[in-house]
Amino acid sequence: MGHGEKSHRPSKKHKSSAKESIPVEDYEAYVGGEELDDDVRGDGEVKKRDFTKLELKPDHMNRPLWACADGRIFLETFSALYKQAYDFLIAIAEPVCRPESMHEYNLTPHSLYAAVSVGLETQTIISVLDKLSKTKLPKEMIDFIHGSTANYGKVKLVLKKNRYYVESPFPEVLKKLLRDDVISKSRIIPEGANGNGGFTISKTLGEIAADSSGLLNEAELAAAAEEKETHAFEIDPSQVEKVKERCLPNALNYPMLEEYDFRNDTVNPDLDMELKPQAQPRPYQEKSLSKMFGNGRARSGIIVLPCGAGKSLVGVSAASRIKKSCLCLATNAVSVDQWAFQFKLWSTIRDEHICRFTSDSKERFRGNAGVVVTTYNMVAFGGKRSEESEKIIEEIRNREWGLLLMDEVHVVPAQMFRKVIAITKSHCKLGLTATLVREDERITDLNFLIGPKLYEANWLDLVKGGFIANVQCAEVWCPMTKEFFAEYLKKENSKKKQALYVMNPNKFRACEFLIRFHEQQRGDKIIVFADNLFALTEYAMKLRKPMIYGATSHVERTKILEAFKTSRDVNTVFLSKVGDNSIDIPEANVIIQISSHAGSRRQEAQRLGRILRAKGKLRDRMAGGKEEYNAFFYSLVSTDTQEMYYSTKRQQFLIDQGYSFKVITSLPPPDSGADLSYHRLDEQLHLLTKVLTAGDDAVGLEQLDEDVDDIALHKSRRFSGSMSAMSGANGMVYMEYSTGKNKNGKGQMKSKPKDPAKRHHLFKKRFA
Amino acid sequence: MVNATKGLFISCDIPMAQFIINYNNSLPPSQKFIIHVLDGTHLFVQQHAAEMIRSAISEFRDQNSYEKPT
Repeated sequence: MGHGEKSHRPSKKHKSSAKESIPVEDYEAYVGGEELDDDVRGDGEVKKRDFTKLELKPDHMNRPLWACADGRIFLETFSALYKQAYDFLIAIAEPVCRPESMHEYNLTPHSLYAAVSVGLETQTIISVLDKLSKTKLPKEMIDFIHGSTANYGKVKLVLKKNRYYVESPFPEVLKKLLRDDVISKSRIIPEGANGNGGFTISKTLGEIAADSSGLLNEAELAAAAEEKETHAFEIDPSQVEKVKERCLPNALNYPMLEEYDFRNDTVNPDLDMELKPQAQPRPYQEKSLSKMFGNGRARSGIIVLPCGAGKSLVGVSAASRIKKSCLCLATNAVSVDQWAFQFKLWSTIRDEHICRFTSDSKERFRGNAGVVVTTYNMVAFGGKRSEESEKIIEEIRNREWGLLLMDEVHVVPAQMFRKVIAITKSHCKLGLTATLVREDERITDLNFLIGPKLYEANWLDLVKGGFIANVQCAEVWCPMTKEFFAEYLKKENSKKKQALYVMNPNKFRACEFLIRFHEQQRGDKIIVFADNLFALTEYAMKLRKPMIYGATSHVERTKILEAFKTSRDVNTVFLSKVGDNSIDIPEANVIIQISSHAGSRRQEAQRLGRILRAKGKLRDRMAGGKEEYNAFFYSLVSTDTQEMYYSTKRQQFLIDQGYSFKVITSLPPPDSGADLSYHRLDEQLHLLTKVLTAGDDAVGLEQLDEDVDDIALHKSRRFSGSMSAMSGANGMVYMEYSTGKNKNGKGQMKSKPKDPAKRHHLFKKRFA
Repeated sequence: MVNATKGLFISCDIPMAQFIINYNNSLPPSQKFIIHVLDGTHLFVQQHAAEMIRSAISEFRDQNSYEKPT
């Protein structure tokens, strides 16, 4: 088994009814355990992943996937049915690993919840899965699907006239929910409650989910309307999130669906905006939108698209389909500007209907509907605001938003999300991200804070379609020099290890060589990433290139980036961690990474994302085009050091997306003697002294927040929580520094005096 | 007068030689095993040290390589 546990084995949740009286472990054990407890015999004999029992169907050749009893599904990408099977699987299961010819997926309660919420029914899921599977569907899997989806879709959370209602066609379900403490406490009982358990009964347009007679037309679900009686009770807006959490599969197991029937919403004023005719959503963008608007209503959820694949167009399209007021949240002021620009670029929205709300620009829209673009910080900020922004925030608070559009949901701390969602009342929430993964387990929070994952694109398919750049990933191995390695090994230098392997002269030479090669031979635009500030400065100074880091002012940043974009002389820019997420540099097509944030897989993916925006002509990019690769991602690694460990770990997310890393060992070429720096020994020794004499603080990381990813240092840590945790990313480390923090300190959330209006009533008196 | 010592001739890359030297230095004098450092990539050590060096190196390498948790 490989795990060394012999006596007791975590039982799978969906098999908790099995004969053995193994107690149902918590969710963690459920995901962590990969064992098939069916194989646990009385004598403790265990076989792992023994699939000999599975029966092959006679026509298995034509079917694309293997379904295993433990919930894992393998998909052959070379199958003729791949496209349809992929669309289906992505809706019902969590992708684990997607290399070129074989994909691995995993069925989880959350993924099935997502499936139900996009309108798939239990029977449809099972029958389609059965049609696609090469083998007879294992009974365990069928039971699991039944068990996880039986209660789904029975309860809905509806926002009507600024009040939240829990709605269900089944009064007994509502009664059951009310038996829960948390929920009954958050209930608001209307005055003059009458019989019927006090439920409000209303006739609503129910929906019959489409029949899926065709094999795989679930994406184009047609919705029919039918008169249905719905029972509802009101809940306290501040408790909404708690109630939602209670209803999740690991508690009461009545996950709520959030839908917004925007076409029949007559209360909120319409916003006059359409997609411009030249805005042609790409197939995968269409598909993600069709998941969101599958039955003519808008569903809340998260759409996952790689960086550079056009997330903003999806956001703008969603807003122009709903045509109601839209609140768009971004991570910092720069992306606020970018979003405002995208709205104007893709839609016919009039200038006076869109406004930005940041610490620098406080615009207010005229009219009764509009789009507001702001940052998470601005909305969640708890301290005292200027009178002007207080007015705007009041407006945001009181308005009923048609759509809450949230960018880069993976970076926002759950705390801030809670606050934002508590403050703003929205009918529908759409989260956008490239890497829906964080190692701190908080990713599952998003499931109830925003909604299930509606769509996730496959990176390699987008590369093949020419929608994102085809990147050659390479790991360049730089041997340590004798002197540097000797120092690296010394115990007293343990704090300087990172500085030593980053400043390795061989690495410097490799970096210089690559910059020269790409600048001169190919005329590329290069970004060099270094987390280590000491290294960043040393490299940039020595090579005489501009650099941007946390302390660089906004003006200087803009100037450097402008020069990088337009000038022929500035082809390389050095960036610290600030460049990971938000800086948009479509011109760059080469990344050289000289130091990184330990084993953070998300950082690697985000950095790669900087160059994913498609380049060159479409036909060159397509398979068989002129250039095989048009973007390059180099990660420079000093061999025999910790960096090798981190480097392999960092690559896991991209490898799971199907990327492969090529190892280059002979850089710079041996004949490139004195052309490159640090050729002579005395130069190298001088550099070494510099590293050794610099203070420990100076050579450390650009430390701006607590480091959640430190746990990465523990080897063979078992990830648990959800499959999303497996696909890798780390905490919320990166977001604070690039925001207004350095400018005016407004971004800081902690230790600020509270808004007096929000003080606890006990303290109000005291401060009044 | 010529002194002959039987020993082990190690040939390796530069960082590994440094690693072995460092390992040797970390031991108490009685256990030191390097007889002579010939140059950057060659060492002459006592014969019995082979296994010890091997295990030290393999431990060091394990620390620096990542295995995907399963």
